Amino acid sequence: MFSEQAAPTAQGLLAPPSAEPPTFPRVPVLGYSDCSQPFQLGERSFSRQYAHIYAVRLAGMRPGLERRARSRWGSDVVLRKLSELQEGEKCCVVGTLFKAMQLQPSILQEISEEHNLVPQPPLPKYIQPSDELILEDELQRIKLEGAIDVQRLVTGTILAVYGSEQDDGRFLVEDHCLAGLPPPLPWDGPSSDRFVLLASGLGLGSVSGEALLSTQLLVDVVTGQLGAEGEQSCAAHIARVILAGNLLSQNTQSRDTINKAKYLTKKTQAASVEAVKLLDEILLQLCTSVPVDVMPGEFDPTNYTLPQQPLHRCMLPLASAYATLRLVTNPYQANLDGVRFLGTSGQNISDIFKYSSMDDYLEILEWTLQAGHISPTAPDTLGCYPFYKSDPFILTECPHVYFCGNAPHFQSKLLQGKEGQRVLLVTVPDFSATQTACLVNLRDLTCQPITFSGFGADSED
Amino acid sequence: EQQPRRITDSFPRRRRRRGPGRPPGRLRDKKDKDKVQVKVRDTPRTPSQPPPDPALLEMLRRFDLSWEYGPCTGITRLQRWERAQELGLSPPGPIRDALLEHRDNPDVTYRWVWDGVGW
Repeated sequence: MFSEQAAPTAQGLLAPPSAEPPTFPRVPVLGYSDCSQPFQLGERSFSRQYAHIYAVRLAGMRPGLERRARSRWGSDVVLRKLSELQEGEKCCVVGTLFKAMQLQPSILQEISEEHNLVPQPPLPKYIQPSDELILEDELQRIKLEGAIDVQRLVTGTILAVYGSEQDDGRFLVEDHCLAGLPPPLPWDGPSSDRFVLLASGLGLGSVSGEALLSTQLLVDVVTGQLGAEGEQSCAAHIARVILAGNLLSQNTQSRDTINKAKYLTKKTQAASVEAVKLLDEILLQLCTSVPVDVMPGEFDPTNYTLPQQPLHRCMLPLASAYATLRLVTNPYQANLDGVRFLGTSGQNISDIFKYSSMDDYLEILEWTLQAGHISPTAPDTLGCYPFYKSDPFILTECPHVYFCGNAPHFQSKLLQGKEGQRVLLVTVPDFSATQTACLVNLRDLTCQPITFSGFGADSED
Repeated sequence: EQQPRRITDSFPRRRRRRGPGRPPGRLRDKKDKDKVQVKVRDTPRTPSQPPPDPALLEMLRRFDLSWEYGPCTGITRLQRWERAQELGLSPPGPIRDALLEHRDNPDVTYRWVWDGVGW
């Protein structure tokens, strides 16, 4: 582990400097390939409806789900479409889930004059006991009841249900299954210790400057300017830094420029301008020493809908002079030294959190892997580009490291699949709130948190 | 009485002459607000190709309305055919041949567009 290697050696901080200051070269980049091409949008046309993305999602995941249904309920299980259902016959149906929620914010209800509703304030969760699940396939839809957890599932999931149609027109579910873990990728990881630092939610441009000290400490540890020779030699094993979104704080998203009159806001600068300048300086310090991948997040200056496109390099003039800076999409997928990384900045997980009874970010992360889809709630409650040819959020191969950014706490788990999949699930915490980042060891897929904090006036010594 | 002279008067306003090949999409001249304008979009048809027979158009319309290949709105017929091919739904080959043969004819390549008023 990182901390064990950095344990105090004979050469501590309270020793005279050595005659020949040792140099620690950083571990070289053995293999890197970017696999986020499906998330990069070329020409963008918004004149399409979202029916296409749901149709290709169902058509793309149907074969895998039919195979899982056969292996779970017997190879002679009857697979039916909703239009072919016969009353009382036990069969299996594959379709898209829709959860009808009373509290789901609906813009049509808000602006409807006949309802005369006050706009609903944002709630942490929109689930209610009266929610209903409806299964849709290409032509019809049917209400589900029975052995299925209505509160836990969310709209947009593709699943297979086993049961029979009742005489009142509802489908009584006896068992259901998700797509399951995708097929495993061959392992080609490094044989020596090699670390990747995952951090998210730097939150630059916020009103308080307390997190700036922690951010500077993070940069100093990674560039090897902190600690004695033990810590410096460990920092040299950090091969890459991935910043998973929300580099700017939510405070930079001021709505003043929209709400106030033009003559009042003409001379004021957007808060994000100063924040991006600060980000550029921090990235410059990092890029001179280590390859950095920057993913945009919810509050960053890029497009709103998923997949978010990379930040433009004109915003970071100092740092983009270095080839070590890579501006990447959200979600991001890449092969680092033979280990496949896949992760998002957390919008998909936090959206599922709002519409499901699952409370734990790690549990939701694992659930998306089991459901075979990075973000099932897009485009229903999470903005998404209207794809028509294929759904790039379907998981076709099982990554080795699957992470999400901007989680409330750090959590990690090594998941073992039945077909030999080994996935390290990591929820990267929000750095501006927790001052914690994660170090992933590529050799044995372990992860440990690293916290940076200074001593304040009111903290204990 | 005379209107006071403005700075913009030194730049004489030239009335734009509307020719037969007027490109669509220009901002309307303010003085013509009361005149009713009907914009006519001229789609050039290549005279070299013979017009497709109604049986072909009927076959294409049936391809649009068959639910197995997914929604038909907002994408061209060729895009829909290629998507169906990639998903393994085996769309009929003659349709693709017809679409490629008449690729200059907008009635054949057709893209259903929902403009909120009607089909």
